[in-house]
Amino acid sequence: MVGLCLVVLSRVFYLQIIQYETYASLGEENSIRQEFVSPARGLIYDRYGTLIVDNEPIFSITVTPSNFDEGKIPLLASLLQVPDSVIGIRIDEAQRYSWYRTSPLLTDVDFETFSLIQENIWQLPGIGHQIESKRHYPTDMIASHIFGYLREADRQDYEKSEDLRLGDKIGKSGLEMIYENSLRGDLGVEFLKVNAYGQSLGNYEGERSGRNPVQGANIITTIDAELQAFVEDLMQDKIGAVVAMDPNTGEILSLVSSPHYDVTRLAGRLDRDYWVQINSDTTRPLFNRAISSRQPPGSTFKPLMGIIGLHLGYVTPETEIKNTGGYRRGRLYRDIAPLGDYDLEKAITYSSNTYFYALMDRMSTQGDFNNWSNLVKDFGLGVPNGIDLPSSTTGIIPDSSYMDRRFGRRQWGLGDLINLGIGQGVISVSPLQVAQMTSSIANGGFRIKPHLVHSTQESDGTVRYTPTVHEKISWVKDEYLEVVKSGMKGVVQEGSGRLYAKTEIIDLAGKTGTAENPHGFSHGWFTSFAPYDNPEIVVTVFLENAGFASTSAAPIASLVLEKYLTREINRPYTYNYVKNWVPKEDNSQEVAE
Amino acid sequence: MSNVRDFNWSVAFAWSLLTIIGLFAIFSATQGPVSEFLPGYIQNNFFKQLGFVVVGLLVMIGVQFISPRSLLQLSFVFYFFGIILMILTLLFGSEINGAKSWFSIAGFGIQSSELMKIATILAVANYLTSRRNISAENIRYALISVIIILIPTGLVIAQNDFGTAIIFLALIPVMLFWSGLPYGVSLFIISPAIILYLTVLGWQLGLLSALVLTGLIFFIQRRTWLTITSFVTGILTVVGVQLALSQVLQPHQIARITAFTNPSFDPTGAGWNVIQAKTAIGSGGIMGKGFLEGTQTQLRFLPEQWTDFVFCVIGEEFGFIGAGLVIFTFGFLFIRLLNMAGNHKHPFAQLVTVSVVAVFFIHFFINVGSATALLPVIGIPLPFVSYGGSAFLTNTLMLAICLNMDFHKREFSIYR
Repeated sequence: MVGLCLVVLSRVFYLQIIQYETYASLGEENSIRQEFVSPARGLIYDRYGTLIVDNEPIFSITVTPSNFDEGKIPLLASLLQVPDSVIGIRIDEAQRYSWYRTSPLLTDVDFETFSLIQENIWQLPGIGHQIESKRHYPTDMIASHIFGYLREADRQDYEKSEDLRLGDKIGKSGLEMIYENSLRGDLGVEFLKVNAYGQSLGNYEGERSGRNPVQGANIITTIDAELQAFVEDLMQDKIGAVVAMDPNTGEILSLVSSPHYDVTRLAGRLDRDYWVQINSDTTRPLFNRAISSRQPPGSTFKPLMGIIGLHLGYVTPETEIKNTGGYRRGRLYRDIAPLGDYDLEKAITYSSNTYFYALMDRMSTQGDFNNWSNLVKDFGLGVPNGIDLPSSTTGIIPDSSYMDRRFGRRQWGLGDLINLGIGQGVISVSPLQVAQMTSSIANGGFRIKPHLVHSTQESDGTVRYTPTVHEKISWVKDEYLEVVKSGMKGVVQEGSGRLYAKTEIIDLAGKTGTAENPHGFSHGWFTSFAPYDNPEIVVTVFLENAGFASTSAAPIASLVLEKYLTREINRPYTYNYVKNWVPKEDNSQEVAE
Repeated sequence: MSNVRDFNWSVAFAWSLLTIIGLFAIFSATQGPVSEFLPGYIQNNFFKQLGFVVVGLLVMIGVQFISPRSLLQLSFVFYFFGIILMILTLLFGSEINGAKSWFSIAGFGIQSSELMKIATILAVANYLTSRRNISAENIRYALISVIIILIPTGLVIAQNDFGTAIIFLALIPVMLFWSGLPYGVSLFIISPAIILYLTVLGWQLGLLSALVLTGLIFFIQRRTWLTITSFVTGILTVVGVQLALSQVLQPHQIARITAFTNPSFDPTGAGWNVIQAKTAIGSGGIMGKGFLEGTQTQLRFLPEQWTDFVFCVIGEEFGFIGAGLVIFTFGFLFIRLLNMAGNHKHPFAQLVTVSVVAVFFIHFFINVGSATALLPVIGIPLPFVSYGGSAFLTNTLMLAICLNMDFHKREFSIYR
């Protein structure tokens, strides 16, 4: 018996003295609950400081079942304008979760309902509220593809981040996704004293201290909100993309993919029907065509071909090549430009295919194919462009090893390469990349990196600027650029672009293009820059199934240039033409571009 | 009349000390900040206990004035009266915490099984010492004694109060052993309990203990039939428990049994009490968190903290010093009472005192064992410390009877 008393005593000694540390911390964990305080998400501004994304409070009504009087269900239901049974079910659920803890009763109620509840709160014991926030977009611009949407984090996200809690929303596309870590801010923590039922008994006063939430960093974008809204208006009911950027810095002024989705409908409580709808839409509104679409550049590629031809010495600005209705090499490669002799400038202006077929033929047969591929990549095609948006495409600029992989060794030949000279065949680029290429031509041969964010401003005042790239492409000489730019100016003066893009108001240059589409109407390209002498903006327009690009894409680009450079539109005819434009029969084969 | 100096003041002091510690613990457990989360009738438990202590003090004093011979003479009357009371309770009593062991008189609930403990001890002690030739050495008298104990045990089980039944059953080996039952047989009687406990911890341990105990019994008694029976019983116990754990019982029942060894198996269910009790005691450390400062107690993490888990309140708020003092005081009490029994000339007084010590000890060991996860959680109170009128008064009455017999030992002699 004395032995057993000693057993008990030593057991108590073991628990209280030897295992003290273990149980002391267990005991503390027991009675303290860590509560997180969400930080406010960072705001987003345009290049002129206009607030374009902010937070809007949403009100949730909560219930603490232990204090709630079930006799008040009818009153509560009438105030919330829902049937009694709905409230009854929600309160049952809350009771099952915890009798003493606070549970949400109805989330995202409108402000009138919220106020009504607050006025009657004295007769509703156990009812409380919680203020959360959702994204709000105060300007006319939609820019769903730029901002992206927020969704509740999923299992994988929780595994990646320690800061996430159940129900947290994180950016799942666009800037919200890329800048998630900056925008989110730091969670605040507070410690509450709780009893065994989980009931909160006020703040814990002890060694552990909580911390205040740190607001997410604000983002200053390079977007021109007014221009963006204007471009969105022009692109309404069309399928395609527009990229406008500053050729000297790579700052994106506007980036539109059409059709778009309504990001506001994804901001609050998840609208499941809408989510299913935009996911199953055959026009793919969630797809960002401006950066993810991969298409042959068509004739917009010809200026770069010219620059490479001059650099490698296959042609001089004076070299003339005769168009006899096509280029014959094994078979006839058609050319619908007027017959006659073409030098480089004229070949760009009138978009003569023969000139570039011949150039590509010579380069390929004289062993410069891989050289060509590398030179093209110097202009940002076929390489990652580093834009701060998710899922931008690299595109394809082939070289011999690519051709070997694609077709098999010795399974491809000159016939597969000649087409590349006019931007057709196994070559694909995104609208953003065409804009990037055009920028390097317009800015005097400098490589730039497209980006959407100018700087981030943290809540403590720290400002972080996005590093810009502005480096000379060493082999590009000004005299090469003069020739092709002048050819591009010709396009809008006397070439295919003259019909709808020619204007006295701005001094622009550009190039049309057609991406052959095996599934239907060809896609139309127009890439341009202005003012001609000292370019401030590059605009690239891509329209799916547009057919004749000079009548579809070109007028859009000219309006965007005009809007940016003059801040107004003085060509109502062109504007109305663009607004009322519908795709026509594919006649690009009949008319020279 | 005996001299007041002959009264065993040290035992009375131990009683007072435990009672006062109990009052502090019950106050903390029901009137502390925790009262916010407790219904009113539980908050009142402290004041009720205070009343019981006053009544207990009167009982303690009053009992000293009766002659111990009358206890001996009236023992069977008490016993039959007790049995009838228990049957009446079973028929008309009220159910509290699943046990139908309460009947009320004038608004006070009384647990008849508690009073029955005294009556049973007195009756068996009287029977076994009534004539010179009666002793447990003779199997016939031993069996009759067992039957006297098993009748109330059966009634307690019928009342669905297994904790108390264990106390009654534990009286069998103690009383028979003291009355002359051979060591080996006594060991045989308690061996299933030991084997059962160890098998729950691990069947290998159970098997080992069965073999060791059989060996011991053979070594002590050197009787073939007893050794064989012991061996068979031991093996059957191990196999039976193992079968019950692996085949017969449902997982939640197993969880309740094994929760004390592995509480994390079901931390919010069967393991909850064990985890919270260990946490309360362990987090007390040496000095404790201070009176009314224990978070486990005051934030209502402890179940039944005014009765079955009152030891956790002491451990948490008064630390190892408080818990150790309780254990030490009990140990002191047991030793003093056994010493007292050794000094008695009359076997009735010896047997009663030893039985009372056994009852106190088993309460103490099971209660503290449950709270410290040495044993499965069996809900029985800690004598003098836990809240509970019937238990407190019964235990005080038992102690008072022991003190009375000691006080009057000169006039309570076989030679008179």
